[in-house]
Amino acid sequence: MPLSILVPLVTVGILGIALLLHLLGLSRPVALSDESAARDAWLSEFPDDAPLRVLLSRNRMAALVETPKGRGVVWPMGADTTARYLTGARITRRAEGLRISLPDYTAPRIDLVLDEAETGVWAASEEQDA
Amino acid sequence: MSDQITFPDVVNWAVPFFIAAILIELLWIVLKGRGGRYETRDAVTSLILGAGSVASGVLLGFIAYGFFMALWAITPLDLGTSWWVIALCFVLDDLRYYWVHRFGHRIRWVWASHVNHHSSQHYNLTTALRQTWTGTFTFMMVVRAPLILLGFHPALVLFCGGLNLIYQFWIHTEAIGRMPRWFEAVMNTPSHHRVHHGRNPRYLDANYAGVFIIWDKMFGTFVPELDHEKPDYGLVHNLGTFNPIRVVFHEWVGILRDVIQPGLTWRERLMYCVAPPGWSHDASRDTSADIKRKHLAKHPSDRGSPGFTAPE
Repeated sequence: MPLSILVPLVTVGILGIALLLHLLGLSRPVALSDESAARDAWLSEFPDDAPLRVLLSRNRMAALVETPKGRGVVWPMGADTTARYLTGARITRRAEGLRISLPDYTAPRIDLVLDEAETGVWAASEEQDA
Repeated sequence: MSDQITFPDVVNWAVPFFIAAILIELLWIVLKGRGGRYETRDAVTSLILGAGSVASGVLLGFIAYGFFMALWAITPLDLGTSWWVIALCFVLDDLRYYWVHRFGHRIRWVWASHVNHHSSQHYNLTTALRQTWTGTFTFMMVVRAPLILLGFHPALVLFCGGLNLIYQFWIHTEAIGRMPRWFEAVMNTPSHHRVHHGRNPRYLDANYAGVFIIWDKMFGTFVPELDHEKPDYGLVHNLGTFNPIRVVFHEWVGILRDVIQPGLTWRERLMYCVAPPGWSHDASRDTSADIKRKHLAKHPSDRGSPGFTAPE
């Protein structure tokens, strides 16, 4: 197929599918229903390190996890979740909450939306590991 | 010896079909409320990786093709392009695919290229297009060398490889349960390939087939999809980014970081490149064998069941 046809076809195809998915409401990030869901999400990534304590954000979009090996965070990746330890993390306060910068090429930045009260609690907790 | 044989670039010609099939699958899922999941950023990342894979083929394809034409120049054999030669080439190239794919899961250098195909936590037709940009750097083109030396023209071999890739598109779906028993016995199917994409300990390192599932049955890597254990898609440690550049290159970056860390022997540096994914010099990480062993320690009753019959 000539590139003069292939390139526009691929471009329109990607943009069209993206627009359609968004209009269908499939861009909404998943929310963690409760502490147990956050715990399961953590164990899905680190099955050998069960959480001792889970602190779920009020908007249920992230959870701070304390384990025998250290602290970590669970957050949505689209319709799913992932998790990372906070080892080496750099914590920055933002208007909407916190930004966690990790020395991890696969998860370089996590933006957490937190209210003012919980921002202080989370920042204090996370900075212990940073 | 024939040097000027041409075959259509079937993968590029299949692009309109890919787009139409994705729209049909999406429509099916939305209308029926079952048969898979879609998420915008995940799907867009997959589609961009597909487009980039085609682009990398355009930019770097000359390296593999030059290698194949050099082999073609030295082989005294020429099987021509009769229908049985094309059919035989398709079957043998599928055997080639099985081994390249198996190496892709067992050798970290090759896994670095293949990992992005497994990096989605979804399993839908866009996942099929989440293809590598860095396949040339794995040097796995050498596995095709016997085919060229046996007298299959490079254009024919690449044509069969394209057909193989197109076949694998439709098996990346949850909208199809199981095919008829005879078909499941011989061909790779959505059910067999869902297992391959599962990160469940049971499903790791299984079902490497491209078109014919018989290779897995012959070489001991076949695991059936169990009704009571749904595949959990994605990587053992799922990515925390949808950035296509990070998705494509993350394992290469991981290899580089591991290899240049101070205090290692040269053997350890080499092992970070060629040992199975998850290998580490201090055993601080888990390979798929470690993950299976730990699972069996927690669930001893699974020993001997599919996926836990024998260590690789």
